[in-house]
Amino acid sequence: MPWRTPPGAGATVHIWNGYSPAERDRRWNAVRENARRAGFDCVLVPLGDGIDARYMTQLRCSAMVLPSDGRAPIVIADRRSSNAWIPDPWQTGREWAEPMGEALLDLGMERARVGVSGLSGGTVTHCHSIDGVVNHTALAQVMAKVPNASFDDATDVIGLVRYVKSEEEISFIRESTQVASAGLDELIRLARPGVDAGVLYADVLAHILELRSEYTPPILTIGSIHDHTAEGCCNPPIGRRLQQGDLIINEISAIRGAQTTQVSQPILLGSVPETWQDIIALQREVYEAGWSMIKPGTTFGALCDLVNGLGGEHGIETALQLAGCGYGDDGPLYSAETRSDRTRDLAMAAGNVFTFQPIAMARDRKTQFSWGGPVLVTDIGCEPLFKREHGMVEIN
Amino acid sequence: MEAPADIGWRGYSLAERDWRWNRVRDHAARTGLDCVFVPLCVDGRNLHLSLEQARGTRSDCRYLTGLDNAAVILPTDGAQPIVISDQNSGNDWVREVRPVENSWGASMARALIDAGMERARIGVSGIRRGFYTHGRAFHGVINHTSYAEVLRRLPNARFENATEVVGHARYVKSAEQIACLQRGAAIAAAGIEKMIELARPGMDEGLLYANVMRRMLSLGSEYYPMAFYSGLHAAGRLPRFEDPAEGRTLQPNYRIANEVDAVFGGLIAQEQQPIFLGVIPDAWKPAIDLQRDMYYAALEQLIPGRPFADFMDTINGFGEKHGMKSQLLMHGRGYGDDGPLFTPQNRGARNRDLLIEKDCVFIVKPIAHSADGSFDTSWGGCVRVTEKGGEPLVKRTPGMVEIM
Repeated sequence: MPWRTPPGAGATVHIWNGYSPAERDRRWNAVRENARRAGFDCVLVPLGDGIDARYMTQLRCSAMVLPSDGRAPIVIADRRSSNAWIPDPWQTGREWAEPMGEALLDLGMERARVGVSGLSGGTVTHCHSIDGVVNHTALAQVMAKVPNASFDDATDVIGLVRYVKSEEEISFIRESTQVASAGLDELIRLARPGVDAGVLYADVLAHILELRSEYTPPILTIGSIHDHTAEGCCNPPIGRRLQQGDLIINEISAIRGAQTTQVSQPILLGSVPETWQDIIALQREVYEAGWSMIKPGTTFGALCDLVNGLGGEHGIETALQLAGCGYGDDGPLYSAETRSDRTRDLAMAAGNVFTFQPIAMARDRKTQFSWGGPVLVTDIGCEPLFKREHGMVEIN
Repeated sequence: MEAPADIGWRGYSLAERDWRWNRVRDHAARTGLDCVFVPLCVDGRNLHLSLEQARGTRSDCRYLTGLDNAAVILPTDGAQPIVISDQNSGNDWVREVRPVENSWGASMARALIDAGMERARIGVSGIRRGFYTHGRAFHGVINHTSYAEVLRRLPNARFENATEVVGHARYVKSAEQIACLQRGAAIAAAGIEKMIELARPGMDEGLLYANVMRRMLSLGSEYYPMAFYSGLHAAGRLPRFEDPAEGRTLQPNYRIANEVDAVFGGLIAQEQQPIFLGVIPDAWKPAIDLQRDMYYAALEQLIPGRPFADFMDTINGFGEKHGMKSQLLMHGRGYGDDGPLFTPQNRGARNRDLLIEKDCVFIVKPIAHSADGSFDTSWGGCVRVTEKGGEPLVKRTPGMVEIM
């Protein structure tokens, strides 16, 4: 039985929901297909897996049961929310376990094999959440309500659909990259010795919001170029004014069309020391070698080996730093500290978009240089969406 | 107000840490628990029922450690806590953190065993909604896969709900916390002043939103999305936005409602100010006056030791005495999803027996409805409970701002 709006439901929160019905059908059909191949009767996007839920429904907060056999899903939402994709969801207040369980029963899943998205970190989604994102008490109640069904991880069932972007998504990724780049421009425009670092942070973030990005925090790491202990700030730093000789390492992100992108270009309040020149030059070499290799069919293992193998001379090391662009916590994930062995054999495909920011660093890892932004895998190769002059920005 | 570079605050003291840990230990001991366990909780972006709830998901670990993401085992007997985190390093409060190895579940289970809790009574915070915290999260905030692994690896331990054990500790604020909330409230008030300065017919709503956020960030607030409502009064419930809206421009006779939050020292302060872009209709004025009088009455009634039942009944019945209708809208302030929660949706009935305590801080914003029910209004801000009653953290005047 459908759940109707409870009395006194909270105010509807309006969020961006502009993808077409064709995009919805593309996503749902691709997820159904993956689910069938994995032997699931349905996919449950439970309470807790908010990012996958937004991808599947364009709602701010929802849960979903999507049968693999082509039937329409049951979507549960709150606060009277609905949209063109989901015109008539079941409505709940603060209770989610009961309607999720009833949705499974309504769709005949009493003894089904239920694929649960977000139960663990996936190959290309929920990459930072190694134990997944699902709410315990709600899922435990669902499992108790449907005791003869089996529940298994289906994170990759949705993840591998999110991994390949449609033309609609790519158009927003381009917009998102432009907004992030504008945020970086604002940072470069305003960063001067004597400027309050907190006010600088506020101005950069406000500029990104003015360009209608959804909120996503810039990360600024500010410290003397000779001090390697500075920590990244994802809120306005307190008690700091910029000084001559400060290095501002940055990760400037934006979200348009629910697609997160990130750009990065270090800024120095001063002249780049001679000792950094080789590192910066090698990073450029690594970046160019890497993106020339990015094309359909290339495995991430091959890219990782190439990038990591270009260091070694003059005491400089290199490392692949890469993350997926998309709805959030996209992969695969590579950094100087972590490399994802599980994705070594994963092949790139047209429609993938990654933030590609390889690192060149001194052997002691204290002096590091990274530069880059989103790159789009096309049918024939790779298109960098981040188009700036390479190097460290000098402000004198 | 000071610019961020000139703010001298550098974090909570070690004495504050010990005060918090001892309060939690004391509550745990009274409940007969051997330890309090704050497991891995789902991140607020994925578990996002509301702004407050999302901010509250990992609030217990922030309260106890100052770390954004951690699991905590705090033995009741005074032994040092074990903290597990995916952050690279600890902080002044927690110098040593255990890394997450392979999975949170295995790492948390190992830590519980190392703390001697194989057969213990373990109090779990955040497993379901509480009175004082996590009130919006009926199903709690805990990550499933890791917690299920802990249960599997410690079959002889007893796991019990201890949301109130940490929640009640959080309910009463220390002087250091109140100072941070006071700064936050002042920053939120500055955000409201910016909104009043910019809100005019013809103003792009997204730009207005961005500039209010800029103002609060530039005074040192952490980012916390403003809730912004706008539209014609006759058009029904106003739409709510939590990001800069696209394609919306303020028009004459628009009503603006808002929840303007600022975060300092990790604590969320909130101020609220209704605005009307035109001449306020006479028909609204009795309700606006009622709301003001009700707010001041609420301050008088916030006396330590009283049950909320009296307070609720006073506010909910306040309108009727004046031929109108009134509703209590109020909740705690703190690290996120603080209670007790009184809203038109839940009416706060489950909180009747809870006691108001000295140095609690609430957002108090009761709702007044006109006699015919066609208009309602809410104004409010942060209030600290003192021996003499409620004391606003920042001085503002109740009412609706009229912008011609």
